[in-house]
Amino acid sequence: MSRNSLVFGFGLAVALLAGWVAFPRALYSKRPQPVEFLHKTHAEKSGITDCAQCHAFRDDGEFAGLPANDTCAGCHSDHIGTTATEATLVDHYIKSGQETPWLVYSRQPANVWFSHAIHVRRAGLACADCHGSYGDSDQVRVYEVNRISGYSRDIWGHSMSRLDRAAGDGMKMSDCEDCHRRRGIEVGCLGCHQ
Amino acid sequence: MKVTRRDLFVWGAGAAAGMVFSPVPWKLLDDVSIWTQNWPWIPQPPHGPIEVKQSFCTLCPQGCAMKVKMAGGCPVGVAGVSGNPVTRGALCPLAFGVHQLNWHPQRLRAVRHKRVSSSWSEARAAFAKACGEGPIVIVDGRPGSAASSVLASFAEEQKGSYRVALSLETRALLPYEAMVSPVIPASALGYDLERAQTIVSFGAPLLDGWGIPGRFTRLWSERAAGMSEPQLRLIQIEDSLSRTATRAWRWVAIRPGSKNALAAGLARVLVEEHLVSARGPLSALTVSDAALQTNLSESAIRDLARTMVAKPPVLAIAGDERPEIAALNFILGSVGSPGGIVRRSKPTEKYELANAAIPNARAVLIDASVPWDYAPPTDAEIFRFAAWDGGSNRADWLLPAPGFLEEFTDVNSAPTSAVETYGVAPQLTKPMFEIHSAAQFLSAIDSSFTNPETIIHQRCADLFRERAGTVYGQEIMPVAELDSAQKFEAELSKAALWVADAPKSASLLCELKEWPSTSPAESPRNWSAAWAAAVLPPLATKLYRESSLREAPDRRTA
Repeated sequence: MSRNSLVFGFGLAVALLAGWVAFPRALYSKRPQPVEFLHKTHAEKSGITDCAQCHAFRDDGEFAGLPANDTCAGCHSDHIGTTATEATLVDHYIKSGQETPWLVYSRQPANVWFSHAIHVRRAGLACADCHGSYGDSDQVRVYEVNRISGYSRDIWGHSMSRLDRAAGDGMKMSDCEDCHRRRGIEVGCLGCHQ
Repeated sequence: MKVTRRDLFVWGAGAAAGMVFSPVPWKLLDDVSIWTQNWPWIPQPPHGPIEVKQSFCTLCPQGCAMKVKMAGGCPVGVAGVSGNPVTRGALCPLAFGVHQLNWHPQRLRAVRHKRVSSSWSEARAAFAKACGEGPIVIVDGRPGSAASSVLASFAEEQKGSYRVALSLETRALLPYEAMVSPVIPASALGYDLERAQTIVSFGAPLLDGWGIPGRFTRLWSERAAGMSEPQLRLIQIEDSLSRTATRAWRWVAIRPGSKNALAAGLARVLVEEHLVSARGPLSALTVSDAALQTNLSESAIRDLARTMVAKPPVLAIAGDERPEIAALNFILGSVGSPGGIVRRSKPTEKYELANAAIPNARAVLIDASVPWDYAPPTDAEIFRFAAWDGGSNRADWLLPAPGFLEEFTDVNSAPTSAVETYGVAPQLTKPMFEIHSAAQFLSAIDSSFTNPETIIHQRCADLFRERAGTVYGQEIMPVAELDSAQKFEAELSKAALWVADAPKSASLLCELKEWPSTSPAESPRNWSAAWAAAVLPPLATKLYRESSLREAPDRRTA
């Protein structure tokens, strides 16, 4: 092998390593959730089996957003356990009346009009189809924020190449378009960007 | 081993090749494009609770009901209200992007005098000085609203003139004013499209933005679209194959400028062949004259007249102010009858029109509701209220007015509506800088005038006192079933719509003394009084320019 080939290959290897390993680490920063919320614990101990029990729809079909602290206060009005998380939730947020500033993995720009009701009730999509099966998770997922765009990593998906993504990994507009194309449902620009 | 300059280049080439096969360029391209949408100076709606409120679009006189999606108290999207009996869930393409307009780069943010930054106090002082020096003229684009009362009262107090810039649809109704007795102003008349079975449109773009966007298109889709023998026949008389003409039941292509001749010819056939009970008066034009002018054959005109009356009620609609079409409606018996021209509301005052000559005025104040391209025919000092600066304009003073949802205001019946309606558009968002409506500006100069909010409260109380009509809000409630005026006003304040009961009798006493003399063809340079936006939201710009849904204002010729 010639010297030139070796040097070229070395440069190629460095760039590939930097692009596939170092770049994603540099691009995303990790932020902790304000409270360590465990979906699995709540499902097992509180008997919550339906996502809509906390993530409800309003009468007009719009998604009501994250549950407010009033919902949490139904059980956590006072300390249930002795963990630091419990103390933070009860003392810092519920008793002080301050809403928990959750970091939302799936937050989209405000100019996107997405009707959960149509997708869940009419199209029969499961929550996990888009959000992944986090209802069974026994640990808090790390919230990773893109340093450039400011959006969560969940929007691009965890695979940098976007080629080997699991179902529900990625929430870009192209993902919406792909799903609609597969199902043969046409929606114009104004369907989502009203 | 010595590293040479060649090694560096080769290494760089390898790294560049490797970079192409890494996610770096593609991911950076995506992220940077998103980053450019989120620069610090680009307004971002605050994060906060998502709520949907109801209001009315106040951009044009149609006042369509809309649902407004608010994020953290900021409008981020609009949609139609399907339960609204007038708009029936439809909005025009412009309204879909109206929430973007408050942040438009051409939003007027400060007072400008001769294009140079000035202040409200200087503007008030200048207008007060002008009021003391000579007669003033106030031009309003939406007569009948609470703010209009203030404008009219101020003009009267100053012994000035109050004028209105009527929409093109209302101007098409002006010829009926002289026909009905007692005189009913055009702003109190409407088209009973719902009960008409044959509509003959003389160039009116019925399926392309005429009147309330959803009203006729919904009727057409329910009673005509795709039917070989439609319940509602639309005959489009036009010199070009417009959008409406392509979808109409029949398109009658005539020579440009010959609509009046065709109306005269049709009236003559209707009377001569006893197809209608009326006996005239008729134009001196014979059917063969009309055939010559329109480029239709005489038999085609006779066939058209017979087709028109084959499925009554028949309603002829003009695209602009044409006394000949009004006379044709008189011959057809369509004035004051179901499915024709009907009286919508109680007679109101007759307005002086904005495009009449303005002699000897010291100043002209133009309300923000007047289309941007209106230029008063005068050399007087012009005080122009506008939320957006639409470019070249003769105004001496440009005064920033409330934008979308920034003002508590009322919405009267749409110009073509057959029923009287009343709604209140609540203020849903706080203005970002100091803005005043023309009514607030005048109230600040002379505090003795009642402010528009008080007038709206008074109107709600008056409507409730009549105990008539129905309120279309979250529920449909007859006013008679509401407990109190406060509850009625509370419903309206949430952008419910009050709709009057249908009048028991549509009949109007009307008379046509003589066939109107042929009106001169309108020059493209004449201000058409059609509503035009000063600026377009980015979304509508794309729709306007790329799909030619509508002609953009700067391409409109007449």
